[in-house]
Amino acid sequence: MKALVFSDEPKNAREIITYLRGKMDIDVISAEDKELPEYGAKKVYFYRDGFIDNLSKFLVDYLSKNKYDFIFISSTNTGRELAGILSYRLKMKCMPEIFSFEQGDKTVTKRFFHGGKTVVEEESNFHMFTVSPGICEAEKSDKKSEVENMTLDKSNYKIVNVKSKNTAGTDIRNARVIVSIGRGLGSQENIEKIKPLVEELHAEIAGSRPVCLDYKWLSEDKQVGLSGKKVRPDFYIALGISGQIQHIAGIRGSKTIIAINKDKSAPIFEECDYGIVGDLFTIVPELVEKLK
Amino acid sequence: MDIAVLVKQTVDMDQIKLNDNNEPIMDNLPLKMDILSKNAVEAAVQLKEKYGGKVTAFIFGTERSTSTMKEAYAMGVDDGTVIKGYQKSDPAVTGAILGEELKKSKYDIIVLGDQSSDSYSGLLAGILSSELGLNVITNAINIEIKDKTANVTVESESEDVTVETELPAVVSVAQEINEPRLPKVMQIMAAGKKNINIIEGKPDYKDDSRVLSDKAPESQRKKIIYEDGKGIDEIAKILKVVK
Repeated sequence: MKALVFSDEPKNAREIITYLRGKMDIDVISAEDKELPEYGAKKVYFYRDGFIDNLSKFLVDYLSKNKYDFIFISSTNTGRELAGILSYRLKMKCMPEIFSFEQGDKTVTKRFFHGGKTVVEEESNFHMFTVSPGICEAEKSDKKSEVENMTLDKSNYKIVNVKSKNTAGTDIRNARVIVSIGRGLGSQENIEKIKPLVEELHAEIAGSRPVCLDYKWLSEDKQVGLSGKKVRPDFYIALGISGQIQHIAGIRGSKTIIAINKDKSAPIFEECDYGIVGDLFTIVPELVEKLK
Repeated sequence: MDIAVLVKQTVDMDQIKLNDNNEPIMDNLPLKMDILSKNAVEAAVQLKEKYGGKVTAFIFGTERSTSTMKEAYAMGVDDGTVIKGYQKSDPAVTGAILGEELKKSKYDIIVLGDQSSDSYSGLLAGILSSELGLNVITNAINIEIKDKTANVTVESESEDVTVETELPAVVSVAQEINEPRLPKVMQIMAAGKKNINIIEGKPDYKDDSRVLSDKAPESQRKKIIYEDGKGIDEIAKILKVVK
């Protein structure tokens, strides 16, 4: 069995290779990344200046000439665009957003459905999949990949402006510890009150959808959830987060979830390892004291 | 200019209850316009307000989708077609049905939501752009039109990138692009009276995948809950490993 993995985010490519390793031979097409050849793929192709038009043209040609049993595309903006285009051009159906893949006579995949409320397990004869980021934790292999740099045609799209965003420069998806805030925090000013905990744990701060999108207490890149980022820290500490299903879908990869919420019936308590029912403004300072 | 907007109607997912077997009960759920479709309609109407022209909406749905089309009218859509025959989430089929209808219409830009909130597939923009032979830009947070081109700003991790594309093009929008308007009562009343073009779609659903199960995932968490202000010592102990 032979698979082609594509990702414009090497971090996701590393995860997908790790997930598939041992089940099949893997070639990868990815944006450049020093470490990617250490994850056990057979061949790694690197591209530069990829846009949707030159990438899709390259991939349609490449996949017409090279036979693969399966194509796995990381679900990013570019990945989903590509999957749609390839699916149409190559007349292959694409199973989207999978987080589990098993192969027998047919393939059995899993993905979230109904906005994250359920998981559908489907049996199909599809050969193309988009893979939800965070399918597993990437681990290096002792096998080194053969590396080839490839050249893409010039794109018809033109970049007219690039504006760096005012983010703290950290990606919450890489965080080991996340302190995440929800509506229960009450106001943006109250973020100061939980900062000592963030600092004590060298954590990244993140938030639920209302906090990031509706109230804008935090920037949008800090939003955790199905429509935000899917995170997988060692510790996810949810402060005043009720735990809507869309939020839970974004934190399922966390090793340990700790929740503090004054509402005993908050759904987050159904989805945490440790929970304290109570006022976060008295609990958090006490916790910080104990940690010192 | 002619703006086409693609709208999806979904069940109200917040209302889904589970049966004893942890499976969703899908009967008699209220229907509503999908969240990102609202952003798409808002973006389309704002383009019309800024550059002039007309907004035409398309829904691939069922006979019950007229309610969502009325909502789109109330938000400022001028004309709408409901294509009946929708059965399930299958981007290839949806793309073929909408593509066929779009080929018969006039547009300078096709706007849609980036990923609908039931399946989050996000494949439709790419499929449609191939079918119609157009450029595609997804997850837009701003659209500006200049003559026969559009400058579309797309958000990535660390930067906002503005890309120029020729028109017509397919542009999918992110929720950050705007705050969908709440139509006034007068507009809702007027929308109710407007004609909706209803046509019979012939979707070609294939028997190529089968649902083995559809269940709420079971939590593997420890669920050790402390009440009455207890548990701080225990949690501090657990978190000590971080330090």
